[in-house]
Amino acid sequence: MAKKKHYFIYRILRTIITAFGVTLIAFLILHLTPGDPVKIMLGPYATEENVAALRAKYKLDQPLHIQYISWIGNVIKGDFGTSIRYDQPVSELIASRAGPTLVLTGSGLLIAVVFGVLLGVMAALKRNSILDYFSTFQAMFWISIPAFWLGILLLYIFGLKLRLVPIGGMVGITSLILPALTLGLRQEAWFARPMRAEMLEVLNQDYIKTAKAKGLKYGYVIWKHALRNALIPIITMLALRLPWIIGGSVVVEVVFSWGGLGSLLVNSVLARDYPVVQSILLLIAILVVLANLAADLLYAVIDPRIRTEG
Amino acid sequence: MEDKELSYENVRDEINKLKRSKSSQLSLVWSRFKKNKLALVGFIIVSIVIFIAIFAPVLTPYDPFDTDPFNRLKPPSWEHWVGTDAMGRDVLTRLFYGARIALIIGVLIILFEGAIGIILGIVSGFFGGLVDAIIMRIVDVLRSFPVIILAMAIAGIMGQGIYNVVIALGLVGWTTYARMVRSKILTIKNSDYVEAAYSIGESRFSVVLRYIMPNAIPTAIIMICIMMPTALIASATLSFLGVGVQPPTPSWGSMISAGRDYLIMAPWISTSAGIFIMITVLGFNFIGDGLRDALDPTTKRN
Repeated sequence: MAKKKHYFIYRILRTIITAFGVTLIAFLILHLTPGDPVKIMLGPYATEENVAALRAKYKLDQPLHIQYISWIGNVIKGDFGTSIRYDQPVSELIASRAGPTLVLTGSGLLIAVVFGVLLGVMAALKRNSILDYFSTFQAMFWISIPAFWLGILLLYIFGLKLRLVPIGGMVGITSLILPALTLGLRQEAWFARPMRAEMLEVLNQDYIKTAKAKGLKYGYVIWKHALRNALIPIITMLALRLPWIIGGSVVVEVVFSWGGLGSLLVNSVLARDYPVVQSILLLIAILVVLANLAADLLYAVIDPRIRTEG
Repeated sequence: MEDKELSYENVRDEINKLKRSKSSQLSLVWSRFKKNKLALVGFIIVSIVIFIAIFAPVLTPYDPFDTDPFNRLKPPSWEHWVGTDAMGRDVLTRLFYGARIALIIGVLIILFEGAIGIILGIVSGFFGGLVDAIIMRIVDVLRSFPVIILAMAIAGIMGQGIYNVVIALGLVGWTTYARMVRSKILTIKNSDYVEAAYSIGESRFSVVLRYIMPNAIPTAIIMICIMMPTALIASATLSFLGVGVQPPTPSWGSMISAGRDYLIMAPWISTSAGIFIMITVLGFNFIGDGLRDALDPTTKRN
């Protein structure tokens, strides 16, 4: 028990260090620019006064560590600065765009997990059958196709040719189908394969053999004993895949003109609207850090066999 | 036990024997790899793509940059097997030259991120302690950002072009190598032959150079093959998002992006480039999968 407590404390400390590093990267991104970030942000026609005013506003005339402290202080207070392109507080922009992204990533994740677990379990139960080979092959197919190309292909077939769904934008539930499928199907492969391996391993365990030997029904054994234990590693997989799903959603949002954080991020990168870029990067990374912490702690609580050393 | 049995030469022979058994592991991996049909298919696909990339100028009579205003958006025909694009350029020619761009960028990314990752992985695994802790926390931090998002932000700030794509993806992508190589080094570090090498008085430096490095190299090579699909997809995605290699350079990603505006009139532009990316990535994935299975035969056929 004491060991587990130590593990929790160690894991939380590690999270704090990682979160600090994440803020450093988000902060330093702006300083990667080859030229003067303020001049790049304002464009070639900026007046000297505007440049000076913006520089003073971001404290860019002060040493780096002072800049960082003032920036992080504001972020903690909820002040993410002002978008140069929209001339609007970044926090407002993000709040107005977060909804569609949550809907999209949520449905993508759901598709990935449901299909992945189903295919993985079926492949494990019917090992070396056509279904097993199909599952392996389709996983290979999805990870080999870039998200943006899959999106365009689906848009072409179902939107332009068959006219079954709207071709982009956010109009009703039908416009969610293609983006969510594009996002989810590509990630499904990452759940199907570990699920199959895990299920095979669990099916080989003594307690499953015992359950079967006791004369319990096959379906009951699979459902009650095997699946429950095989699902535990999926928690870790979820946290591991989260950055990829968020990354994928950025691409998918651009393909389907989905008005979420992803398309805001891409447009801000292209328009060199750095306060927005910095803030979105920071929020996403902090989310991923927290998700990893949650998954690790949850895993330690659920699975008694967890290794508690680093 | 006689004294001469513990002499320097005898122990050295024993160590060399152990080392040889390790290198024959590589030939074992290769023999398993050859038996895998999908891996062989992947090998053939990748060979064809490399062939196309090298001999692109010989394979096609057209120039990838030559525009022809009178031949815009022409459907596939005998003169233009995959039609022409919005500027009248031959699509097949651009696909062939695109193979060049894709492979060059892919290889550069892997060399760059591989070099950073493998060196930091070795340092981290070998020295341990504070150095290891610092490197691993940097890995944690970088892995908290989605690869494509951080790379897009970096490439967007640095500007377009092949080298900026390579730098952006390399700076973000090395963490996978560092982790893999580090864990491999930890295993090697605790192995009998490294202990034996220390016991006959080899220095730390020579242990790293002569015993640890050679044994970590197969892992590194396999990592590189496995990472190629990610590098190809990521660089194409950056092109598509507008921060990577941009037109008129014939990259597959930007061809898909440009063809998107003509999906109804000229679907062959996007479609053909998409198929090229997919088949190439599939080829590398088949190889990677074969290598993974060959390395660890318990994963698949248990």
